[in-house]
Amino acid sequence: MTKISVTIDDKKLDVDVGKTILEVCKENGIEILTMCHLKGLTNTGACRLCLVEIEGVNKLLSACTTKITANMIIRTKTEKIKRYQLITSELFFAERNHVCSVCVANGKCDLQKLGYKTEMDHIRYPYLFPQCEVDTSHPWYVLDHNRCIMCTRCVRACSEVEGAYNWNVMNRGYQVRIISDFDTPWGESVTCTSCGKCVHACPTGAIWPKAIVQGQLEKKPEIIAELMEKRKMNL
Amino acid sequence: MNRQDLQTIIHSEKLKEENNKYKHKLCVCCGAGCISSGSEEVLKKLQEEVITRGMESEVEVIATGCMGPCNQGPLIKFLPEYTIYQKVDCSNIKDIVQRQLVEKKPIEDLLLFADSRLTPFIDAREDPYYKKQMKIALKNCGHINPERIEDYLVHDGYKALDKVLFQMSPEEVIAEIKQSRMRGRGGAGYPTGLKWETVYKYVSHQKYVICNGDEGDPGAFMDRSVLEGNPHRVLEGMSIAAYAVGANKGFAYIRGEYPLAIKRFELAIKQAKKLGVLGNNILGTDFSFDVEVRIGAGAFVCGEETALIASIEGKRGTPKPRPPFPAESGLWGNPTLINNVETFAGISPIINNGGEWYSDIGTPKSAGTKVFALAGKINYSGLIEVPMGTTLREIVFDIGGGIQGGGEFKAAQTGGPSGGCIPKEHLDVKMDYESLISLGSIMGSGGLIVMDKSSDMVDVARYFMEFCMDESCGKCVPCRVGTKMMHDLLKKICDANGTRIDLERLEELAVYVKECSLCGLGASAPNPLLSTLRHFRHEYESRITE
Repeated sequence: MTKISVTIDDKKLDVDVGKTILEVCKENGIEILTMCHLKGLTNTGACRLCLVEIEGVNKLLSACTTKITANMIIRTKTEKIKRYQLITSELFFAERNHVCSVCVANGKCDLQKLGYKTEMDHIRYPYLFPQCEVDTSHPWYVLDHNRCIMCTRCVRACSEVEGAYNWNVMNRGYQVRIISDFDTPWGESVTCTSCGKCVHACPTGAIWPKAIVQGQLEKKPEIIAELMEKRKMNL
Repeated sequence: MNRQDLQTIIHSEKLKEENNKYKHKLCVCCGAGCISSGSEEVLKKLQEEVITRGMESEVEVIATGCMGPCNQGPLIKFLPEYTIYQKVDCSNIKDIVQRQLVEKKPIEDLLLFADSRLTPFIDAREDPYYKKQMKIALKNCGHINPERIEDYLVHDGYKALDKVLFQMSPEEVIAEIKQSRMRGRGGAGYPTGLKWETVYKYVSHQKYVICNGDEGDPGAFMDRSVLEGNPHRVLEGMSIAAYAVGANKGFAYIRGEYPLAIKRFELAIKQAKKLGVLGNNILGTDFSFDVEVRIGAGAFVCGEETALIASIEGKRGTPKPRPPFPAESGLWGNPTLINNVETFAGISPIINNGGEWYSDIGTPKSAGTKVFALAGKINYSGLIEVPMGTTLREIVFDIGGGIQGGGEFKAAQTGGPSGGCIPKEHLDVKMDYESLISLGSIMGSGGLIVMDKSSDMVDVARYFMEFCMDESCGKCVPCRVGTKMMHDLLKKICDANGTRIDLERLEELAVYVKECSLCGLGASAPNPLLSTLRHFRHEYESRITE
């Protein structure tokens, strides 16, 4: 494979062409915060946590969707980027009703980890406290909109990996919601195969298996990438 | 139909004769504005009146597109005298026809701007309202019947398409557009020729041309009027673009709130196909191009090009990060050219008159003319087209007739929810892309809302933030949550409950949302807030509770 040379955080690197900035950073041990990204799914650039500064580009670009090109000079940890990551983290927490102490994902939650990583000590914005439903109609799983951060990893896992297209998004702006089929209770879905991929893809405690109590959730998001790799090998 | 057939039709005596058959042409504005003030009834009554008087062999009554001063409607225009009557209602039709056509003494009290000019102009072209304007995109709007392709053919219709197909290579067409220095009229002002060239350079068996008619800015109706008043001009522009970039399929994405524009554009497609200037083997050449209409379902974000493309694909209208740009990977992953309605409307004049002619109009960095939709506290609201570089003062006072009720100008809002406010200290700003950006506003698609002293600038910012908050697609965090937070903070300040800390948070969030949002909607959503903070900071400060 052709190599190109790039500079990331003042480190000169020779990397393969055709990769995204995020992939290159991961391979080289440079940490980039992500939330909507999950290996194995298409990248949407929605959470804006992986924004990086690139010399000569007048806007911040998401590392997960931007292909790396020769001679790029990339900065991933400037003061500005760190500040913006903190604001994003605060907005996530203020948007819905995240109460870690009563959450099944407590201690294993990507959102909680994000809070630590951005060194968030309190939330400066008013909590919106929206009225959110909990859908327990599915025999095995629960969808709790209070803990959903609209990363759409479940939507993509369902359509891209399982091919069931059960999950989708409705409404606009801060009123967006994940829906099952045409906004029917999950338990009544005619498309859901109950495969559980969305459960593993979900970074928070929004989708979880029933009969689990606080902090007991075990998720394996890496199965998505493993499945996709195996499929590629069969081809 | 081949080229010769078209030439025969265009140059046939029949077409000209038909056009010159009548001594008088009576144009009734049937743009959406005038229709809503009753122009269809006026049209019917005028036709009856002409028949009653037995004048049908010398007077042709036609329905046209927008004539400009929409709030003076219904408007009727007599050609060739160019006498315009305003606020016509069915009761004074008899008098108008009698005085204008029989006695040849126009009724001065009913002429255009009779209520505000000391002596109204019998030839409306002499009125400063029209004199200061220069119509290129709107050239035939208000003169021709948009529902007849023959009317367009008489006015050099499809001449430019004929020229590119038989005399120019795609490279030459692109060179001509580049020479014109035309910039996209959708808002961002990206050079049109450069965009065309980028799409042209990508090798693909399938390319698309998309016309963006999802005009969503509050108070803006330029695209609607062009589509309603001269749909063939847009269609011709799309065909020329398709020939230049190598596309064979086009989509016109028109918002569902414009039923008349959709109807007329669909009719234009039908007529053009019948005539052979659209469809397979256009004018007997190897070039084939087909256009379909797609109707927007009321989402502002679908005016953003990647969201618009998703919507055409039948998906939820949410934007995608760029790069890759649509020029490389657009509709169904193919190279796609996407331009605004007004941009396409400006193409055929450039081909007919040459790129140099166009580049001489306007300012060095912003060539050509721009259509603005005047709204708000201005005397003559409606649609105008002026050379780039015309000052705001000329637009508001010379063309727009000043502020309603003799009030005092406070600010003009350009660019809608993505733009900003220009205060009265900058009334002499030249209206071009760079000057507006330097004042913290943008050209945008051409909405221009004039505000007087009664406008509260914090509330203006809150209004536009509410719009962006409602119209955010909800995909990315900065726009989805950031606009909601900014709106709530603005509301708090509006209600005089805001503190200095709220103002600080607001400013921090504004910069964050501007820099971090995924698409243009979020990135420009803080603009009305930032520009009012820049020019009217005291209005915020005075509301702060310590």
